[in-house]
Amino acid sequence: MAVVEKKKNLRKEHVDEIIKADDKWEPVGHTPMPELPDLRNWDMRLLKTYKPFYAPMCDMCCFCTYGKCDLTGDKRGACGIDISAQQARVVLLACCMGMSAHGAHARHVLHYLIEKYGRDYKINLGDQILVEAPHIRTVVGLKPETLGDLEKAIEYVESQLIHAISSLHTGQEGSALDYESKALHISMLDHVAMEVADIAEIVGFNYPTSKADTPLVGLGWGAVDRTKPVICLIGHNPVTAVPIVDYLNEHGLQDKVEVAGICCTALEVTRYTDKAKVIGPLSRQLFFIRTGIADVIVTDEQCIRTDVTIEAAKVGTAVIATTDKACYGLDDVTKQEADHIVTDMVKQGKQALIFDPEKAAEVAVRVALELAPTRKKVLVTKEQVPEMAKNHRLCNLCSQVCPNLLPVGDAIEAAKNGDLQPLTEVFNKCIGCGKCAQECPRQVPILNMMQAAASWEEWNIRAGRGPIMDTEIRKVGAPIVLGTIPGIIAIVGCSNFPDDYNEVADIVEEFAKRKYIVVLSGCSAMAAGMKKDKDGKTVYEKFPPTFDAGGVLNVGSCVANSHITGAAMKVANIFATLPLRGNYEVIADYILNRVGACGLAWGAYSQKAASIATGCNRLGIPVVLGPHSAKYRRLFISRKEEDDWTVMDGREKKLVNTEEPSPEHLITVVESKERAIITMAKLCIRKNDTPQGRQLKLTHYIGLHKQYMGTLPDDLHLFIRKTSDIPIFFKKEVLPYLEKVGWKEKPVLTLPTLIGTYPSEVPIDAVVH
Amino acid sequence: MAVTVLPFHVVNTMTGTKYARMIEDPAEYAHLIKRAVRPLLVIGTWALTKSVAGKPVIDYAVEIAKTLDIPICATAHTKKKLLEMGVEPASSYDIIEILNHLKDPEWKGVKKEGNHDLVMFLGFRTDLGEQGLSTLKHFAPHLKTMTLCKYYYPHASYSLPNFRKDDQWKEFLETLIKNLKEKEA
Repeated sequence: MAVVEKKKNLRKEHVDEIIKADDKWEPVGHTPMPELPDLRNWDMRLLKTYKPFYAPMCDMCCFCTYGKCDLTGDKRGACGIDISAQQARVVLLACCMGMSAHGAHARHVLHYLIEKYGRDYKINLGDQILVEAPHIRTVVGLKPETLGDLEKAIEYVESQLIHAISSLHTGQEGSALDYESKALHISMLDHVAMEVADIAEIVGFNYPTSKADTPLVGLGWGAVDRTKPVICLIGHNPVTAVPIVDYLNEHGLQDKVEVAGICCTALEVTRYTDKAKVIGPLSRQLFFIRTGIADVIVTDEQCIRTDVTIEAAKVGTAVIATTDKACYGLDDVTKQEADHIVTDMVKQGKQALIFDPEKAAEVAVRVALELAPTRKKVLVTKEQVPEMAKNHRLCNLCSQVCPNLLPVGDAIEAAKNGDLQPLTEVFNKCIGCGKCAQECPRQVPILNMMQAAASWEEWNIRAGRGPIMDTEIRKVGAPIVLGTIPGIIAIVGCSNFPDDYNEVADIVEEFAKRKYIVVLSGCSAMAAGMKKDKDGKTVYEKFPPTFDAGGVLNVGSCVANSHITGAAMKVANIFATLPLRGNYEVIADYILNRVGACGLAWGAYSQKAASIATGCNRLGIPVVLGPHSAKYRRLFISRKEEDDWTVMDGREKKLVNTEEPSPEHLITVVESKERAIITMAKLCIRKNDTPQGRQLKLTHYIGLHKQYMGTLPDDLHLFIRKTSDIPIFFKKEVLPYLEKVGWKEKPVLTLPTLIGTYPSEVPIDAVVH
Repeated sequence: MAVTVLPFHVVNTMTGTKYARMIEDPAEYAHLIKRAVRPLLVIGTWALTKSVAGKPVIDYAVEIAKTLDIPICATAHTKKKLLEMGVEPASSYDIIEILNHLKDPEWKGVKKEGNHDLVMFLGFRTDLGEQGLSTLKHFAPHLKTMTLCKYYYPHASYSLPNFRKDDQWKEFLETLIKNLKEKEA
């Protein structure tokens, strides 16, 4: 025991030093800088209600040389692992990848900025944001004041990763639930890493902050002025994008060169300059590369086509890779003179790996200026399509390989006969992988033909705004917690959409007009802007950009997702005055029971999306996924009629069986947009809702259910605690329904909490504010 | 069993050892359905948007259900269409929710009479369908699964082949319905 105690004290000393425990801005909670086991009991409590649901992608394990091992049914592998633990193991691996991607991004940005400005460079997010880093405050226990403090946070995140990855080795963890706990831990840290990255970028690159009305910027491949030299940025990390803009400005070229981006770097660079354009989500990457519109492609990290160099070379576009994560086998020319690199790229068609952002920026601009006049940018016309498709035979190999199951072959057959409409429909659902063209035995250039089928319309997107302001939280905190703002809907993630990309804008519109707060990020934020109403307005022009009822706001790129979860934490802190510092369980418990927020990752495809969503789950925020996401293998869902919905009444300090499945699931997959909308409205219901708030939430749940399902919800009785919860508008319908199902009033609850229902060092009083 | 059939969509190619038994004879399918004590038909959104040689898939779903009074679980937003057709589904769980219930051998089923022993699926995206069938293959050994869509589903217990032409699928479904209406010898 003495050894254990000594180790514990040493650890405490280490933690106290890092988090500057003597600085008394808030009392230090129970879990500053938690390690893998420290929040395990919280996880197990969540997993008791929201049990893992597994859908194995593969029946075998092929991780070690004992295998391949067949794990079908109740079989175990040679190491002893079963199918559930193996699924959870793969999920943890995905979450580690996702968190590492954000963490390495953060580390890269920090390294660059610290080299430039030093560790003591101050963090200042403007006069409207005092709670600058809710994740770092809550998880690490540190109030970051400088870039050096952000570095401490990322060092802690990195330290946890090694333990989690270690557990993936053969002969380590054997429990699915424990793997899930580790996945929840790593994913919680993902939000810390994302917060580090985005704060560093805001202060280091002077992004807009403490404001809602960021500028509208051009969106769409049609928004790119191809009469100018075009630099296309692909990836997520703005470390090279920013110097490109600086170089253009310093040389008076800002109006002579077009800077545009695909995926999150586009959202980053448009935070730096509203002259830049957002070409579109990652599903348009290969499509755009093959147009040849870009004179130079600059890649950074994540979600870049790994064959970008090959594809770019085919259309004569130069490529500059800029990070250690994605070098593509290119020669490292960082130490060469810029003149020399430019000559090699222009005269010899070389592609370059340049780690120095300023040099990469100079080379990108100069190569674009020199190459552009020599290149022809001619798009495929409608008239050319039948000729391009003339060799097509309806073998359907293209349809068979389509990951989105689209009838590509039929569309090409129609195009061959001069009807482009089916190809347009396919394009609008296309995830842009190019497998169809690759598979074609007759080499029909399917993706190129889509140039003629695609809309070349120009849309608008609001530039990413970063954190939600404290003043906004002060205004909406009470209505969110009481339920009179029906919920926060966060539409995030990638563009692996199951159907037409317009569905995202439809979902935004449905919730915004019902006065939910709609928050967007990443490729979903782009898709939302790619639909205009009859007046020619996108959702960004129709709805206010404020974090308030009916607002539609884009926080920015993937790493800005931390501001969405951070806003929920700020509600607990600013409105409910709960301390954040090292107080994760209390904050997560507050959000789970009182903050009606729900995420939607309609087109999630990446490991980053897995860790972002799982991080939301540990924090008590449910997430709805599109149908492709069943391939993530794991969900956390309840069985509303059978499960135990007992919580502690924090004020009365007694257990209460609420019989109310709110929120019903932590992460689930739905099939259709319609079901997604209904599910999200339901997942915003919280046990803490006042009768007035519950009435409002049920008004939407019932209204949407009737709209899309044709009836009252089958489970409506589970969400009505007293007759005062029944929406007046539906009372005549609801009362007979309640009588028919034998509904009875449910117990009164003054302060719902899970604290006190599982082993924890946190006292129940900690949740009373 | 050895398998030579691949699913139509390459994303559903399975890595494993236990594959669906492919059945092309509607009489055999009908026999399996009739033999079931508590069958269930789960309907997905493709039943709303796809047709079989001009006839909506959901019409076939309803006809199959009516032959033996098989309860329907209407997933996603399919309930609305069924109600418009004058059909009251026994439940409207979403796909993941019904799968989650089916995993539990003690679950009482959509009619509160006990869990189902044969679960038929019609009208799902093939990738979502395959993932769901994988769940049941691994975690619901107490029941059999059967697919009625025109593609081969490796994770099912019983599956149709990949029909190259809708007419073949149409003929199968219509013969199946005819067989279901007939009394077993």
